[in-house]
Amino acid sequence: MMPISENLLGQIRSVYLGRATDQEILKRKVASGGAVTAMLTYALEKDLIDGVVTAKRTKGLEGEAIVARTKEELIEAAGNKWSIVPFAARIKTKIEEEGLKRVGVVCLPCQAQFFGQMRDFPILETDFGNRIKYIVSLFCMGTFAFEAFLNYLRVKYGVRAEEIEDIKLSGDFLEIHRETGVLAIPLKEAFSYLQTGCLVCSDYTGVWSDVSAGFVESEPGWTVLITRDQHGEELVRGAEKEGYLELRDGSHVLGEILKKAREKVARAQRNMAQLF
Amino acid sequence: MEKLKVLHVDFAGCEGCNVSIIRAYPKLMDQIDLDISYLQDGSCKYSEYDIALITGGACMNEPRVVNELKEIRERAKIVVAFGSCAALGGILRFCRGGQAPRPDHRNFQPVNSVIHVDYSIPGCPPTPQMLQSFFKFFIAGNEARLRLFKVTAGLKKLSGFDLVDDIVLTGLCIGCGACELSCPTGAIKLVEKRPTLIQERCIRCGTCYIRCPRASQLMCLGGEKP
Repeated sequence: MMPISENLLGQIRSVYLGRATDQEILKRKVASGGAVTAMLTYALEKDLIDGVVTAKRTKGLEGEAIVARTKEELIEAAGNKWSIVPFAARIKTKIEEEGLKRVGVVCLPCQAQFFGQMRDFPILETDFGNRIKYIVSLFCMGTFAFEAFLNYLRVKYGVRAEEIEDIKLSGDFLEIHRETGVLAIPLKEAFSYLQTGCLVCSDYTGVWSDVSAGFVESEPGWTVLITRDQHGEELVRGAEKEGYLELRDGSHVLGEILKKAREKVARAQRNMAQLF
Repeated sequence: MEKLKVLHVDFAGCEGCNVSIIRAYPKLMDQIDLDISYLQDGSCKYSEYDIALITGGACMNEPRVVNELKEIRERAKIVVAFGSCAALGGILRFCRGGQAPRPDHRNFQPVNSVIHVDYSIPGCPPTPQMLQSFFKFFIAGNEARLRLFKVTAGLKKLSGFDLVDDIVLTGLCIGCGACELSCPTGAIKLVEKRPTLIQERCIRCGTCYIRCPRASQLMCLGGEKP
């Protein structure tokens, strides 16, 4: 195992490509292979966890923290998120209100870091790290400063926030889906509306997670799953064994992920040099 | 495996950290041999230790403290400042002297102002589980996980003020809310998705700073405060 600080991708146990076996999950507009939804459905249905705390896009780019307890609720929350949901404070209320003892969290690398640090190093008596069973981090290139991003969409393209039905990533373009059609915006252009904090972030995959999930362009329709340790490995393999997940080896895409991770670190270094 | 010889010495503090160490001890007994004879007569059981756990800040108006710290440094391979007072000054930073029972005590510093510290664990007080985790990773030799505490050992202050200065005012805050959740005194409130500090409530414990994903990532990456 490689130590975290010496490796851009963190500690890696295995790399898989996964796909949900459930047609219902695949039918929904999941980001890639639906493996995260499938894995957590497995954990919920086999009573490994009481609930999954995650973000659900409500309207436009905004989202909120929700607790999913069934496959249907998970599917509802699946898909890309484009702005960060201030999770930390709300997740605690959620966990306490709903009396959850074993929680799966689906989050971004920065949030995974917070939860991972809290679980490994419970500094405060009020910490709830012992209730967090699985941390699943999604690959992340940054989140939008969404007021700025929406303003840019309005000024340059005449798109109003309430019109936006969905946003998808397609190659080098960001597709804004509206009732009237699809607008493709070059990613490069959109990237200037990321949050400044994201521009100095060096973590692409979420090194503090149990399982990191995301997609690579060379394997459309599949979710890349990086397991960090035995704990994460058991979740992925368990879901496969119980027929929730179709798995194959993914070590050949590691290079592709590494390239993205390098891009993010290089961007972070460039921006840090300007900021400090 | 032979037990780690651990010396615990407390200087000035509220005893919160000491209680935390005592609470952590039952689960650590198989791995460490904890010497707390300072409670009795100030002597030490052994001449050398693997780890010295220091709680409480160093009173700079008390020559005895400075000498004792130097002696501990010579005897211990690793020095850990446990709790915000020892690590970063904490609430002892507010001491101005003139208070009973020791009006002459008017300046307190974190331990690393006097001696080299290897790991600093902030928290007011850090939980027993935190100490257990520390030993787990320390014994496993997992330097990557302990890096944050190693970097913190090089710092003499961290607080909500630093968080606001380094992360919020530089525009690096992404509004995740980790700081609000981590503040033991409720000094941080998220207003318009950004933390706002209620200054008089900040006890300079540094918990928010090392819990901020952005700040802790930058610290671990750069090896120092951004």
